Amino acid sequence: MIKLQKVCYVRLGTRDLEGATRFATNILGLEVSGWRRDARHFKSDQREHTLCYFDGDPKVQIAGFEVADKDDLDQAAVELERLGQHVHVGTREEADARVVREFIGFSDPTGNRIELAWRPAVSSTRYHGTRDAGITGFSHIGLCTTNAARDEAFWTRICNARVSDRIGEAALLRIDEVHHSIALFATDRPGIQHINHQVETGDDVMRSLFFLREHGVNITFGPGRHPSSSAKFLYFEGPDGMVFEYSSGVRSIADELLYRERQLRADPEGFCQWGAKPRIREFI
Amino acid sequence: MIAIDQLRYVRLGTRDLGASVDFAHRILGLELVEQDSTQATFRSDFRDHTLVFTNDMKLAQTIGFEVRDVETLERAADALARNGYDITRGTPEEAARRKVKFLLSFADASGVTIDLVVRPLHSGWRYFPSRDAGITGLEAVALRSTSVAKGEALWTEVLGGKVSDWVGDAAFIRFDGAHHRLALHPSASGGVLAVEFAVESVDQLMQSSYFLQDQQVRIAHGPGRRPASGQMFLTFAGPDGVLFSYVAEGSPIVEATHRPRQFPRRAQSFCGWGSRSDIPEFNGDGGELAGART
Repeated sequence: MIKLQKVCYVRLGTRDLEGATRFATNILGLEVSGWRRDARHFKSDQREHTLCYFDGDPKVQIAGFEVADKDDLDQAAVELERLGQHVHVGTREEADARVVREFIGFSDPTGNRIELAWRPAVSSTRYHGTRDAGITGFSHIGLCTTNAARDEAFWTRICNARVSDRIGEAALLRIDEVHHSIALFATDRPGIQHINHQVETGDDVMRSLFFLREHGVNITFGPGRHPSSSAKFLYFEGPDGMVFEYSSGVRSIADELLYRERQLRADPEGFCQWGAKPRIREFI
Repeated sequence: MIAIDQLRYVRLGTRDLGASVDFAHRILGLELVEQDSTQATFRSDFRDHTLVFTNDMKLAQTIGFEVRDVETLERAADALARNGYDITRGTPEEAARRKVKFLLSFADASGVTIDLVVRPLHSGWRYFPSRDAGITGLEAVALRSTSVAKGEALWTEVLGGKVSDWVGDAAFIRFDGAHHRLALHPSASGGVLAVEFAVESVDQLMQSSYFLQDQQVRIAHGPGRRPASGQMFLTFAGPDGVLFSYVAEGSPIVEATHRPRQFPRRAQSFCGWGSRSDIPEFNGDGGELAGART
C-alpha cells in the first residue's frame, strides 16, 4: 500500500514563464517564493511552494504527494516496481528544484506523472498573497483518466485513497479528512485536469468572480455549489489552457466508518446545485 | 411619534395586468391569491397578500404600513396634517379592496402613496408558492426620492422609523429588528425603485440567478453583498420599470449598540463583491444628486 499524506505541489511546463508568473501572482493571487532562471515557485499557504511553473513543454504536468517517512518512500518504490512501473529516483538537483529532501517519480496507469516527496519544505514566513483573493491553500487536483475504473482501482487499492463520491464515472478521492484531494475525470489524454485553491469564504469566491471578469479571464464554470462536497466554486482558465478553481466550504469526512459514498448524475446538476452550466470539456 | 408595526404590502400600477401576473407567478415565484379584471394579489408569507398589481394607474404606486390600532391611526392623521401632508381617509370600499379594516393615505414628497392601515388580513393558510424560489417574505422597499431630506424627516420624525445607515445621502430606515424596511435613494424622479423579497439562503438566491438568466430576465445588479446590511442580493427587472430583488442573510440591528454609519457614495458601498449596475442609484456615479437634497 502506497501511503499518501497530502497533495503537495503541482509542476507545470510553460513556454511563457513571465506570462505564467503574471497570471499566478496578479490574477490567481499567489506569492512568489522562488525565482530561478528557468522556474518560478509560488506559495499559497504555509508550505514553501505548492505550484511551480518551469520553462518547458506545457504538456509536462506533474502532481506531487507527500509521504510520511523514508520507509514509506522506499516501500512505494518497491511496490511500483513489483507492478512493473518504471520508478525514477530523483537526483539531488531535481529534489532541490522541488524543495524536497527526496522524491521518486512514476506514471499512473493513464500516464499521469506523479511524484512522491519526502520532507517537502515548510516556510518560516506566512503566505501573503499578491492580491487579496482570500486563499487559504492549495487543496486538490483533478487528474485525467483514460479508464476511470482502472485508475480508481490504482488510487484506491495500490494507494490509500478512498472514494468520497462519484459524479457519473468520475471518482472524487480522499486521502485525509478533506472530501477529495484527487478527482479523476475521463478524457483522452494524461495530465492535470484542474488545480484547486481553497478560499476563506463564499464572499471571496464571489469577489473573485467580479475581479476575474474585469480582468478578462475566461470563466468556465460557476459561480456554483457542488452537491458532492458542498463547496462553493468558480472555475476559470489559466495559461496553456489549464483550469483553475477557487472553492470554499469543502466538507470534511471525520468518521470513516459512517461515511458512505454517493452516486451523482453525470450532468450539470451533478456538478452544480445552483444551476450553473460547465464549459469545461471533462465536465460535459 | 407614530409607531410603524410592519411593512405590509406594495401596490403597483401596470399597463399590462396579464404580463405582470405572469411575472409575479412564473418568474418571481409568488402565490396568486385573487385575480379579477382590475387587480391581482400575491402572497409571499403568512400575510394575506404583500404584492398587488392593479391596472388602475391612478393608484400607481402605493406602500402599505401597518399601525397597531385606530387610536394610533388618528394620532398619525393629526401628526401628518400638522406637518403639511394631505391625508385621505379610506372609504369602507377602499379598505375592503386592500383587505384591511381602516386606512388613511397620503402622498410623500416624491409622489409615492403611503397607506397606513389597521387590522390587515392575515392568512390562516400556509404560503405555497408557484415555484420553489425559497421566498420567506416581503423584506423591504427601495424608493427613488426627489427629496431625501424631507423623506427622512417624514419617516424618522413624524413616523417611528430610525436611520440604520447612509450611503451618500441614501438612507436605510428600519422599523423593527431588520437592518431596513425602507431605503430612500436620491434620484431625479420619485417612485418605487425596487421591491425586495427575502429568500431562505444563498443557495436559493444563486439558483434564482441562473433561473432568471435562463428565462432571459434582465439582471440589474448582483449577485452581490451590501456592506451596510450584510445582505446578499440579486436585483432584476420587473414590469413597468420597477425592479425586484431577492435578499438573503444580513445582520440584524442590535438596537442597544447600533449607531448609523455613513458609507461613501460609490459603487463599492452598494456591493462589496464588486458587481456593477447601470442603475444610477446603485452605481454611485451621480454624486451631484446630493443636490436633490432640499
